[in-house]
Amino acid sequence: MAAVREHGLVKPALLEDALVRMSGLVESPAELEPPRRPTVVVDLYRAFKEEGRRLVDITWDQHRLHEARRWSATALVDSVRLEQLTERDRFVVWSAGKAEMTAKPSADRMARLADKECRRWVGQDNVVASIIQALGTWSRYWNEEEAHHETSFTQLAMRAGFEPLSDDAVIEYRKVFPDDDLLRTVTMLAFSESIASVNYGQYMRQVTDPGLKALFKHVGADEVQHMQYFISFAKALVDSGAYPAKEAFAVAHFFLREEGELYGSAREHVEDRGTHINWWDHLENEAGRTAAAPEALDRKRSLILHSLRRITGVACASAEEVEDYWMDLVGC
Amino acid sequence: MADVGELKDFICQKFCENVGLNAEELFGADLTLAEVIARSDRMTNSVDLMEAFAKSSNALRKQYAIRVRLPALSLDTPISQVVDLFVRECQQGRPV
Repeated sequence: MAAVREHGLVKPALLEDALVRMSGLVESPAELEPPRRPTVVVDLYRAFKEEGRRLVDITWDQHRLHEARRWSATALVDSVRLEQLTERDRFVVWSAGKAEMTAKPSADRMARLADKECRRWVGQDNVVASIIQALGTWSRYWNEEEAHHETSFTQLAMRAGFEPLSDDAVIEYRKVFPDDDLLRTVTMLAFSESIASVNYGQYMRQVTDPGLKALFKHVGADEVQHMQYFISFAKALVDSGAYPAKEAFAVAHFFLREEGELYGSAREHVEDRGTHINWWDHLENEAGRTAAAPEALDRKRSLILHSLRRITGVACASAEEVEDYWMDLVGC
Repeated sequence: MADVGELKDFICQKFCENVGLNAEELFGADLTLAEVIARSDRMTNSVDLMEAFAKSSNALRKQYAIRVRLPALSLDTPISQVVDLFVRECQQGRPV
């Protein structure tokens, strides 16, 4: 049975290192140097409610972290030795470029939804309004960081001999996602980022070219940081009492259940959604097989359960426990 | 164990309650799950549908002490097939 736990007071930097390890992005312990950069605010509700922090303070934290983490897509793409790439490497790069194409419409939706929800809470619960405005503000950094991923992979795919995506294809991939409940959306994005980080860790271990390895590593580490942010925002929404934890459990069950989103393009039936494109449904051939490898699925499950515990304070050890807990929350 | 007719009526009633459509709207045209989401004012997407089935499953559990495992179904599945699936699960009789 799931156990309710206190949120641990783990140092954010240590937590991030642990998550980078869980994602499989570390090849030797020596790679983790003592962090000298700002970190994600892990208890945002408390920051606004009890510590009296303001949006401008949180925004500065976000900006410092964004700047501290920047890397040059141009330099990394230039560092890849194209003649070193195998057919599989080339295909994975092409597939990653297409997947990353959907990050912009996802972030555009986030900005729109966050603003709408923020206005709804102004005057009713100003702490909740501030949390959501912090989310909307951060989405600009998220969008910019994802642009590095998309453009790196699409440019590299073209250099590796793939036909450029047509304008029609780009426009199709840019369909802005429809709105949903805010907690569900943010929880889903925490899971999506965790799944992406594991995929990049898998790809990183399969390539030999140092430049491409470094690119996968940088992108994967960005995804871990994005996961941290989404966990922080989702936890703050739950901590505020304004958004029921049930919705986070619903999304976890939606991903973890048999034939759930976790299994992406490896599923027997992939839904054709006219409204938007979920990138994990469209990883083809080698990219899809690597994403669905047993060790990758294990890592993804672990990260989803970890995220759910941090968001809700409830520890579940398996998909079955998540389902049982969610069913109890749903009622009749 | 209740008979199949009784179980089917109960499941249909719970589906109607939980998706927010009357029996004629829901079963008259044998709506697909995508159509159910589109027509119900309560539903945004598949997660809402999943919750409606979970509530129906919980009602079965409370009324008949049967645990129905929630199906993951494609959105082109007609609602009549979901009812049949629930009935079959009940007949397999996984007690609580």
